[in-house]
Amino acid sequence: MSMSMSMNVIEAGGLGKRYGGTWALRECSLAIPAGHVAALVGPNGAGKTTLLNLAVGLAAPSAGGVTVLGGLPAGSPEALDGIAFVAQDTPVYRNLSVADMLHLTRSLNRRFDQSYARARLNELGIPLKRKAGRLSGGQQAQLALTLALARRPRLLVLDEPVAMLDPVARHDFMATVLAAMVDDGVSVVLSSHVLAELERVADYLILLSRGRVQMAGEVDDLLAGHRILTGPAAEAGNFAERPVVHASRAEAQAHLLIRAAADDPVPPGWEAHPVSLEELVLAYLREPGAAALPGPAREPSEVTR
Amino acid sequence: MTIDKGDKFPAGGAGGSPAGAGEGTVPRRPASPIEFRLDAASGVPTYLQLVQQVEHALRLGYLKPGDQLPKVRDVVASLAINPNTVLKAYRDLEAKGLAAGRPGQGTFVQAGLSQVTLPELAGLRKSLLGWLAAADEAGLDENGMVALFTSALRDFHERRSGPRTRGGAAGDGTEGVA
Amino acid sequence: MTPLTMLARPEEDARLRPLPWRRMAWVTWRQHRFSLGGVTVLLGAFAVYLWLTGLQLHHAYATACHPVGSLACAMNFTGRYGITGIFVSVALQAVPPLIGAFAGAPVLARELETGTFRYAWTQAFGRWRWAVAKLVLLAVAVAAAAEAFSLLFSWYNQPFFAAGYVIPLSTRVFDLHGIAFAAWTLAAFAIGVLAGMLIRRVVPAIAATLAVYAGLALATTVYLREHYMAPLITSRPNLPGSAWVVSQWYAKDGRFAFPSRGSQLVSALSRYCPGNFNGSPAQCLSRHGYTQWSAYQPGSRFWPFQWIEGGWLLALSVLLIAASVWLVRRRAA
Repeated sequence: MSMSMSMNVIEAGGLGKRYGGTWALRECSLAIPAGHVAALVGPNGAGKTTLLNLAVGLAAPSAGGVTVLGGLPAGSPEALDGIAFVAQDTPVYRNLSVADMLHLTRSLNRRFDQSYARARLNELGIPLKRKAGRLSGGQQAQLALTLALARRPRLLVLDEPVAMLDPVARHDFMATVLAAMVDDGVSVVLSSHVLAELERVADYLILLSRGRVQMAGEVDDLLAGHRILTGPAAEAGNFAERPVVHASRAEAQAHLLIRAAADDPVPPGWEAHPVSLEELVLAYLREPGAAALPGPAREPSEVTR
Repeated sequence: MTIDKGDKFPAGGAGGSPAGAGEGTVPRRPASPIEFRLDAASGVPTYLQLVQQVEHALRLGYLKPGDQLPKVRDVVASLAINPNTVLKAYRDLEAKGLAAGRPGQGTFVQAGLSQVTLPELAGLRKSLLGWLAAADEAGLDENGMVALFTSALRDFHERRSGPRTRGGAAGDGTEGVA
Repeated sequence: MTPLTMLARPEEDARLRPLPWRRMAWVTWRQHRFSLGGVTVLLGAFAVYLWLTGLQLHHAYATACHPVGSLACAMNFTGRYGITGIFVSVALQAVPPLIGAFAGAPVLARELETGTFRYAWTQAFGRWRWAVAKLVLLAVAVAAAAEAFSLLFSWYNQPFFAAGYVIPLSTRVFDLHGIAFAAWTLAAFAIGVLAGMLIRRVVPAIAATLAVYAGLALATTVYLREHYMAPLITSRPNLPGSAWVVSQWYAKDGRFAFPSRGSQLVSALSRYCPGNFNGSPAQCLSRHGYTQWSAYQPGSRFWPFQWIEGGWLLALSVLLIAASVWLVRRRAA
C-alpha cells in the first residue's frame, strides 16, 4: 500500500461546531488512520455531515481543531490538493456537459488523470456530450466519483454517497471506490446510513450520536472488545462491575452486550457469543449515554487550531 | 509479510476493470481457477467466508498447489469488499500454511489440506452416529444437537489455536439455545 | 513498488505553488456563457436599434437643422424624433440594473442554492482565488461591453445635443454616456454579486439587486449629483443653453422669498400680476421688487462630474466585490 500509511488522515481534538445556539458537533476527538475505509455512522442530525464539512474545509470549527493528511490544516491549499470530496446529492453543474465537467475539474486541480476518467465514463456508458443535469441519479454519482478519483487524491471523503442509488448502482459505486484503494492507496472516509453493508466495506468505525463521538476504532478491535452474554434474567443485575452497554431481557432470559476481551472468563450459567457489527452499532445507537473505549492505537499528533 | 495485491491495472488503458460483471471483457492475465462469492446474510464474517471458500475448493479439488488465488483487486472490484479483508483472509491462509505470496505476482496455493483416509472417515462417522443416538435418548431434538455441536466445536477451536480476534468460527449457530 | 510513487509530485514541499490564474478564464467563460450571452443579446439588440435610428437622426439633422432653431428643424427633426429620443433614454436607464441583476446576482447565489459550492470550493484551486478570478473577469467584461455601448449612444444622441434639444448634464442622459453608463453597470453587477452572496438564493437576490440599485440611482439623480461641486449662483435672466439649472427662486430685499415653483409662487402671482399682464412671471414680479436667482452647473462641468460619479461608483464596486470575496473566504457551509 501507500508509503504514507503511518499517518492519520483525519485528526480532531476537542472539535466542535455551533450553528446559532445549537452545537451540531461537540468535543469530538478522533484519529483516523490511513489505508482504511472509515465509516461514519449515526442517526440523522448526529453531526456526520458537519464533521465531514469541517474536515474538508467547508466549515470552520467553533471549538477545537482538525487536521488532515498527517497534520495539514483542514482547508489549506495542501489539504485541498490531497483530498477529494463528494457531497451529499453529488452536486454537478447541471448545464455543463460531462466533457465540460472533466475540463472544469482538470482546470481547477494540479493532477487530473484524463485518460482514466474517459475510460471509466466509457465503461459506465455515460456519454461525454450529455448535460450533467440529464444524467440519472446513479450516473451523476458515478460522474462525481470519477472526477474525484481522477484527481488522484490521497483521501476520498464521501457524504452519504449511496443514499440515492439503486442496489446495482450502489454496488458498482462501492466497488469503484474500493478498487481505487487497491490501485492508488487512497484512504476513504464515508458517512453511511446503511448498516447492513458496513461489515463488508468498513474496517474503521466512528459512531456519532447527538453531536458526540460514541465509539471510534478499528472494526476488528471493537468487535473483539465486546460480546453478548446470554443467561438467566434474574442474574442480569450482577454485572455492576462490567460495563454493560445494552441489555434486552424477557422474563426468563436476558441478553447483555458488554465490553469484555475474548479471554475474560464467562460467568457460570451464562453463554458468550460474538457480536456482529450491525448489532453493536444498533445497541450503541439505542444507548446514547454509552461511550466506548478510545479508538486509535497510535498517538495522535498535536492538533493545532 | 509478502502478500502482494497483484498487478494494478495500468491507469488509462481501455482495460479498466469493470466493477461488477466480467462478461464481455477478456482477462489479460491467467485468472485464478476459483472465484469468491459472498453470502451477506449468513452472519459469518467476510474474511472467514473467503478462507472457508479456499479450504472448500482445496478439499474438492478446484484448487491445487501452485494455482493462483484471485487477485485482491479483482475480488474487491467484483464483491465490493474492503481490500484489507481480503488481505486478512490471505494472511490467515498463509498462517495455516495453505498459501504463500510471491511479490509482484500474487498469492499462490502452497499445500493441500490433509486428506483423511476412507477407513478413518468410516470410523469417525460411526462414532458420530453413536453420539447422535445418545443425544436423542437424552431428549435433545435436532436443533439442540446442532447447537451443542457448534458450541463444542467453537470451544475446541479456541482451545486449540488460542483466542482469535473475532470471537469464533461459526457465527450464529447458537441462537436457538434456550 | 508502491503505486503512489507513480503520482509523487516533483516537489514534496509543504507549500504548493498556487495554480495559475489563467485557468479560470475557460472556467468563467464556460460557466457563465449564458449570462454573458444574455448581456450581449440585450446590448446588441439596443445597439442595432440605435444604429438604424441613429442613421436616420443624423440624416434628418444634417438636412433640416441649418440653422438650428429654424422651423424646418423643428418640423423635420425635433418634432419628428424628439419623443423617440426621450423614450430611448428612459428605456436605457433600465439596462444597467438588468445587467447587474441577471449577470451579477447568480454568480455566487446559484452555487450556494444548488450546492455546487461543495464541489467548487473543495478543488485544489482554492475558493477565494476562484472567486476573485471569476468576479474580476466578469466585471471587466460587463463594464467593457457597457462602455462600448455608451459610445454608440453618444454617437446616436449627438444630433440632439447639437440641436440643443437636450444637454449633456441633463438627468435624462447623464448616466447613459461618458463613463457613467459603464460605471453604473459595474456597480449594479457588484451589488448583484454581494446580494447573491448574502441572500444565497438567485431569484430573491435579483429582486434585491434591482431594489437597491433603484434606490441608489434615485438618490443620486435627485440629490447627490447636484452637489458634486457647489453650484454657481446668478441673478442673470439668461443662462447659457448648456447650463443645468439646479434650482431657482425669488428673493426680495436680499432675502429668500419663495421657490420658483409651487403654491407660494402661484399665490404671489395672483396677488401681483393681473390677468391681462403680458410677459413672463419673472418680469411681473421684478416690478414688485422680486429678483429671480438661479443655481446652476455650467456645461463645462460635464466631464468633472463624470469622473466624480464614475470614481465613487468604481470605489463602491470594488468595495462590494471585495466584501463578497471576503465572505466567500470565511463562509461556513
